[in-house]
Amino acid sequence: MRSDTCLKIVFAVLFVGGCSSTRTEVATPAVAIAPAYAVDGLVGRWGVASYRVEKDRARTEAMARTQCRLPYVITKGPSDGVMMHVADDAQLYELTLKGSKDGKTYLGFDAPPGDPQDREILSFSDKVVVMQYANPETHARYGTFIYTRCA
Amino acid sequence: MHVKAYSGRKKLNLRAAVAFGLFSLANGSLAFAQAPTPFAAQETMDIGDEPGRISTEEVVIEDGPYKRQLVSFRSSEPAGTIVIHTSERFLYLVLGNNRALRYGIGVGRDGFQWSGLVKVTRKAEWPDWTPPPEMIARQPYLPRFMAGGPGNPMGARAHYLGSTVYRIHGTNQPETIGHAVSSGCFRLANGDVIDLYSRVAVGAKVIIRHAATL
Repeated sequence: MRSDTCLKIVFAVLFVGGCSSTRTEVATPAVAIAPAYAVDGLVGRWGVASYRVEKDRARTEAMARTQCRLPYVITKGPSDGVMMHVADDAQLYELTLKGSKDGKTYLGFDAPPGDPQDREILSFSDKVVVMQYANPETHARYGTFIYTRCA
Repeated sequence: MHVKAYSGRKKLNLRAAVAFGLFSLANGSLAFAQAPTPFAAQETMDIGDEPGRISTEEVVIEDGPYKRQLVSFRSSEPAGTIVIHTSERFLYLVLGNNRALRYGIGVGRDGFQWSGLVKVTRKAEWPDWTPPPEMIARQPYLPRFMAGGPGNPMGARAHYLGSTVYRIHGTNQPETIGHAVSSGCFRLANGDVIDLYSRVAVGAKVIIRHAATL
């Protein structure tokens, strides 16, 4: 602990996290087509940060790059997908990329693209992936996620 | 206690707190106390942070003892000084002439309460939040950094205390005001912390007191 005038003690920080959500229905495109990106491109170690308003995007991406000391690790799944979490669930699931007829790409379960548990891929490159939850309520809570690949 | 303009989910896990401990180190001496107080004898919330939960800046404590109110407060401290009574769950902003504005606060849970003298070294609107590693371990789906905003557990405003890790900040869990829930920070409802923010300057003296009874 760093000392101040008279304050001498800092206790270790320990949060007991808890988070659940209510679900709202969103319209789902019915038919999946081939995704625009290869799901294997998600495999690796990522720094992850989120923002809500565009003015915070640049600094959020910069902060994501500093988070590789506590990276989010994405591994290849037993089938064709990758092992990742969905919102508010600490369990890993195999997720995959799905294209939709409206030109969007989603990441989620083997369900029609745009499923409430999906994430919509906003941009995708080898170094940076930007995505947001398809469910508006979940998106409102967590904002837009920026994944920056760790070295 | 009624909370005004609150929108969000409740996830309360209450337990009775019959005693609590604290460490304080003042003037180089370590002090330990363990005793119930009238306020500490009330229920203590066992509730974690809920990142992503929305609480708007309009949320204030609307009634009861934790409502923001002008009170009589005898003190020799100059106007603008913040005096925190951890055991009572009150923050006083000294106004002078034996008056103060009193705000209801949430405080550190058992083992995370402290006392000392610090200054406000920085203020921030809608501060960013970085979940601690322990929280990431429990909720691995969380971002490792969350830019400030209504779903951020730090709430609408933050006052950074000295060079410590502690802050006086808002919250997206206004129902936790009046309870011992945090890791040592002091939280106010968003509307109340915005009010405090407008009245407190960087450099303001902050006295954290804990009534250690034997």
